[in-house]
Amino acid sequence: MSTIRVRSPASYWLAVPAAAWMLGVVVVPIVLLVWVSFWGGRTFSTTSPLTFDNYARFFANQTYVKLAMSTVVHTATLMAVTGVLGYCIAYFLTMKVRSPIWRMALFLAFIVPFWTSTLIRAIAWIPFLGVNGVINQTLMFVGVTQSPIEAFLYSRTGITMAQVSLYTMMAAGPVVYMLNSIAPALREAAMTLKAPPLVVFWRIVFPLTLPGVVIGQVLVFLNVMSDFATVATIGGNKHALLSNLVLLFYEGSQIRAASVVAVLLMICMLIGVVAALRVVDIRRLGADR
Amino acid sequence: MDTLAQPSRVDEAVAPVLARPQLDLELRGIRKRYGDFTAVDGISLKVAKGQFVCLLGPSGCGKTTTLRCVAGLEEPDDGGVLIGGKEVTRNPPWQRDIAMMFQDFALFPHMTVAKQVAFGLEMLKKPKAEIAKRVHEVLTSFEIAVLADRKPASLSGGQRQRVALARAMITEPRILLLDEPIGALDYSLRETVMLELKLLQQRTGISFIWVTHDQNEAFSLGDLVVVMNHAHIEQQGTPEEILQRPATAFVAGFVQGNNVFRGRVVEVTAGLAKVATAAGSFLVSVGPSPPLAGDEVSFSVRAERITDIVSDRHLNVLSARCTAVEYFGSVRRHIFERADGEVLKYDQFGAHAARIAVGQRSTLGWQPEDSVLHTGRVE
Amino acid sequence: MIGWKSRLRLTGWLLGTLTVIFLIYQWLPIFTLGLLSFSGPTGGTTFPMNGTSLHWYEEVWRATVMNDFKPPLLRSTLLAAACAVTTIVLSTMAAQAMRGRFRGNGWFFYLMLLGIMAPGILVGFGFAIMMRLLGVELSWDTTTFLVQVSWTLPFGFLTMLAVFNRFDTRVEEAALTLGASRLTTFRRITLPLIVPGVIGAGLFGFSLSYDEYPRSMFTIGPDATLPLAVMAQLDRQITPEIYAIGTMTTLFSLIAVTLCTFGLWAMRRSTSLRRA
Repeated sequence: MSTIRVRSPASYWLAVPAAAWMLGVVVVPIVLLVWVSFWGGRTFSTTSPLTFDNYARFFANQTYVKLAMSTVVHTATLMAVTGVLGYCIAYFLTMKVRSPIWRMALFLAFIVPFWTSTLIRAIAWIPFLGVNGVINQTLMFVGVTQSPIEAFLYSRTGITMAQVSLYTMMAAGPVVYMLNSIAPALREAAMTLKAPPLVVFWRIVFPLTLPGVVIGQVLVFLNVMSDFATVATIGGNKHALLSNLVLLFYEGSQIRAASVVAVLLMICMLIGVVAALRVVDIRRLGADR
Repeated sequence: MDTLAQPSRVDEAVAPVLARPQLDLELRGIRKRYGDFTAVDGISLKVAKGQFVCLLGPSGCGKTTTLRCVAGLEEPDDGGVLIGGKEVTRNPPWQRDIAMMFQDFALFPHMTVAKQVAFGLEMLKKPKAEIAKRVHEVLTSFEIAVLADRKPASLSGGQRQRVALARAMITEPRILLLDEPIGALDYSLRETVMLELKLLQQRTGISFIWVTHDQNEAFSLGDLVVVMNHAHIEQQGTPEEILQRPATAFVAGFVQGNNVFRGRVVEVTAGLAKVATAAGSFLVSVGPSPPLAGDEVSFSVRAERITDIVSDRHLNVLSARCTAVEYFGSVRRHIFERADGEVLKYDQFGAHAARIAVGQRSTLGWQPEDSVLHTGRVE
Repeated sequence: MIGWKSRLRLTGWLLGTLTVIFLIYQWLPIFTLGLLSFSGPTGGTTFPMNGTSLHWYEEVWRATVMNDFKPPLLRSTLLAAACAVTTIVLSTMAAQAMRGRFRGNGWFFYLMLLGIMAPGILVGFGFAIMMRLLGVELSWDTTTFLVQVSWTLPFGFLTMLAVFNRFDTRVEEAALTLGASRLTTFRRITLPLIVPGVIGAGLFGFSLSYDEYPRSMFTIGPDATLPLAVMAQLDRQITPEIYAIGTMTTLFSLIAVTLCTFGLWAMRRSTSLRRA
């Protein structure tokens, strides 16, 4: 018994506005993208014939295929780095910090930037990475190099550095949640069964946090795959990933090509998300344990 | 199994202990503090081979902390823990010859029952075939073979308890530690499980250290009952000793069915002490080391040693009003209001008709030898 | 040999050092951005600062050299406020609907989740195409608003779901047995109890909309929001003026976070009463 009856008409009507909004603004446009990516001809019209030509053209171009490959490699790199880093930080915050005040303070210091603009945080890396940037100034001051290294700003390294700082929190957050839900008695039980700490971690703690790891990886994966803004800010026009290609084609009014890239992006992401959903039931995460 | 306990420098120092290997566990004045709070204050205990020991006490008395010190989950600040005559005070849990059953069983949620039970043997690096064989044997003997492929979430309370027990017992430890092991079970299950555990303990000869706040568990299971309060041991002994001869006012009060009196010794004559209390003066038998006149003492009288058929022979009499009558099976318990405001419990056995009605005033009596003078420390 | 406890402590120190290094790594650029925004009139986009001044903040205000950031700021704020209000209303309704466990609520949940999972670039691009097909003019207060709510709504929805998960329905049952109607009970009992969560959902909506970039980019029309104006400026020339704007927005977000933390704290307090 609550303020809403189970399966009452009211419960349907209350859900309608949100459902309609999401359908109209998210689902229909994405379906539309798929449709447009098959359009033949040259005019922007719903009567265009359907063909695979757009895809054929994309895959015929070695540059684009290479770009797609390097996007995957770049994303995988970030997933690996943020995954390991995020797990270490999550483990430290939940398991090693005893004082609740310190834990809260460190945790806030960790997640607060998530609430500030990602764009501004990406821009904040510019003074660091430039030829006369902070990193080069520091390196030359310490005497590691004589002349500034140009490898940071407008480079893959620089993009990776900035994105690690942007997305590690996403990899760590779900792990923190899962770690918090492990009863201390489980680890103790394993220890009394003669498991030393590393084995306790590998056989008990890690498997139990796996859903958190997976969700974190999905979040990083989705965000890095589609983060054209950071790439554009730090990579300038020298570097592009698949998502930048969408923008490039769109600005060049090549709607069909842009749709093809968008659909390919979407397929990559779908594969990732479906794979992840097979491992964990996201709906259980919000509920009380 | 003993190869697990690492040889350490301390071995020479404890060589005399090895001369009496019949002790499964020895605690030597262990002490544990958390900030300002003393959880365990100098506990010493000796557990002979194959004993069933119950640590009994109210919550917060330090019984669980003591158990965790034995397991190695807590490191005592002071004192020593010896398992099977070997000093293990600083050894981690995985280098001790123990197993433990946790209050909520602490089953691994991601492992099937079979995996769960195999875990301990895998940690001992036993060959795969042997593990499979042993797991099958143990699951069968605990009657949970049909559950082998289930995960803990789908098990009932009683099934979980069996799995937890099987998981702990399969490594054949020297000592099994049990932290309120049946507290999470339905009341109706508890008696059966208690009996099974007692039989298991007797069959295997493994020492059980059982922590509980329930005196029924402690008295029906324990060969040795250790009553704890405020981080120290109040009394240890067989259930009979603790029931019949409580050493302190706390033990007497904690154990059901005792009437506790506190007062001052007026005089001591010929094996009897006269104690003046707020409820009157009473004669109490004293042992070989009697108290001196003027000592603050406490004594107790068991509820079933009191009678309401008082004659001139009774050296202790007391008049009081009955405020309630409770029934426990064949026992009828009368609650009286004492002159000092405490309650006096008087148990009547048998099915004969009630002689005392609620509200009625009666005279009750008992003999000095029915009461026990507490020899332990007075608080 | 070191004891096992000290070995565990060593792991703790290693992980702790890593965490602190990462925190510095994460915060240093933000602080540097703030510091450089106060550099002198001749200062550039990196050190040395050539003195300290409020020069770049004045520049932002006067907007003589650069684009004027004031109108985009106003637009962003209005848009964020509208998104916050819409998010509050729709997400509370949707979460209440989920409590009714209507048929298809599983699909509904995944539909909402899709709003978080679907990348902004796809949603924005697709929606722009749809508008073009429908012949709708793009504008910050119509198309951008529609798209941004699809981004903020799921977050508000998840927040409200979490709130209702912790909610003790017995207080509602108590009111209902006292003769209150469902609507009255919701208004008089449920709503006051979930207010901190509602505020949280609203702040979520505001802050996400305020910083939103990819969806807005495709759907904006002629008048830009603040992130778009910043990005446009970045394309032309980087000056400490951008740092000044960045510092201001970051401070603004931090204030919002503080309010939100406070709201959550208040919610903990109000829900902890039920355990007493």
